[in-house]
Amino acid sequence: MPLIARNLSVARGGFRLDVPAVTADREGLAIVGRNGSGKTTLLLALQGLIPADGIVERPGRCAAVFAQPAFLRGSALWNVEVAARDRRRARSFLSDVGLEAAARVEAARLSSGQRQRLALARALAVEPEVLFLDEPFANVDADARVALRRLVREYAAARGCSVIVATQSYADVVALAGRVALLEQGRIETLIGVDALKAHPAPYLRALVREGEPSP
Amino acid sequence: MVEIVALSITVSLAATLVGAMLAVPGAFWIVYGRGKARYALLVVFNAGLGLPPVAVGLAIAFLFWRSGPLGRFDLLYTPLAMVIAQTIIVIPLIGSLAVVALRTLDVTLPLQLEALGIARSVRRRLLLREALPYLGASGLAGFGRAIAEVGAAQMTGGNIEGQTRVLTTATMLAVGKADFGLAFDYVAVLLGLMAVAGGAAVVLQARCR
Repeated sequence: MPLIARNLSVARGGFRLDVPAVTADREGLAIVGRNGSGKTTLLLALQGLIPADGIVERPGRCAAVFAQPAFLRGSALWNVEVAARDRRRARSFLSDVGLEAAARVEAARLSSGQRQRLALARALAVEPEVLFLDEPFANVDADARVALRRLVREYAAARGCSVIVATQSYADVVALAGRVALLEQGRIETLIGVDALKAHPAPYLRALVREGEPSP
Repeated sequence: MVEIVALSITVSLAATLVGAMLAVPGAFWIVYGRGKARYALLVVFNAGLGLPPVAVGLAIAFLFWRSGPLGRFDLLYTPLAMVIAQTIIVIPLIGSLAVVALRTLDVTLPLQLEALGIARSVRRRLLLREALPYLGASGLAGFGRAIAEVGAAQMTGGNIEGQTRVLTTATMLAVGKADFGLAFDYVAVLLGLMAVAGGAAVVLQARCR
């Protein structure tokens, strides 16, 4: 089941988000835009985590990776186990994100990149039908970023999971989404396929592509 | 002496447990609930920090006085009346410290657990587990306040030997009789109990880090 939102409206401390319609299906949706444009607010509203007007239809199993993941006191394994409800499955997801050696390490003692991986393992352990990612790989090592993007893409393809990613990274957009929504001041200004990204004249999108594919 | 120490611990422990059972859910509501009404409870907690035990003792004594509104229950000068009074005294302290404890947790943690589809009851349990060492410390602080107060214990318990005499009221009586040696003994035990409670609080908080 895809995620469908209609007439979504959020008012938070002087900021207003108005999104008439947004859908996310198996091809994945990237939400891009400048800092403060409302990407995180839109993600939270789509998940039903903040009060919002409008209609959001989403499947029963959703999971999210926040930009700043928070964990329970305890080991990395325990944190995934809480989501997976099974220790063996939790180990498998930890292994998928390359954290099997850190299974017994306190989550609080992991590096920021490891914490992002742990958050991804925890989210995948839910086996979500919709996976929300908020700047998921910002702090991850460059080489691991490639592997993690591949992991998410393969998971989404294998399970028919919709990925909605808020990002400032062209590589995230290309790897995880089929469509791109450009958010500006709480409104979706542009909604296009990733194929049309390079040719789009919007200054932000041009900068995104230019940074992602720097000219020699 | 043993009887007095045992009653002191029993009454204060009971008051602390009941107080925690009432105050901690309130603290959860203040920190994680919605709506502005919860701030009224926070005001009650904070204002209650300075609540004089003697005022609480007066109120309870008035309520349970033989001719008072609740006199028919015949509770005045019983350990239960002391527990009720001490519970009222410790609730604001435990509640306000529990609010501080819950606020030390990552504010997005409840949201992130919710985002994983974890059921509300499980989330509550996980957050309680998360805050438990801090909440335990607030409970120990409440115990310290309960066992050290004298005004309410005297007014609601009556300092009856073998029935409602606790360390603080026994100390007052000993001083009244100029038996300073005994009074110092009681105070030494009281300080020892508070030191144990304080030490346990430190250990609990250290485990949070």
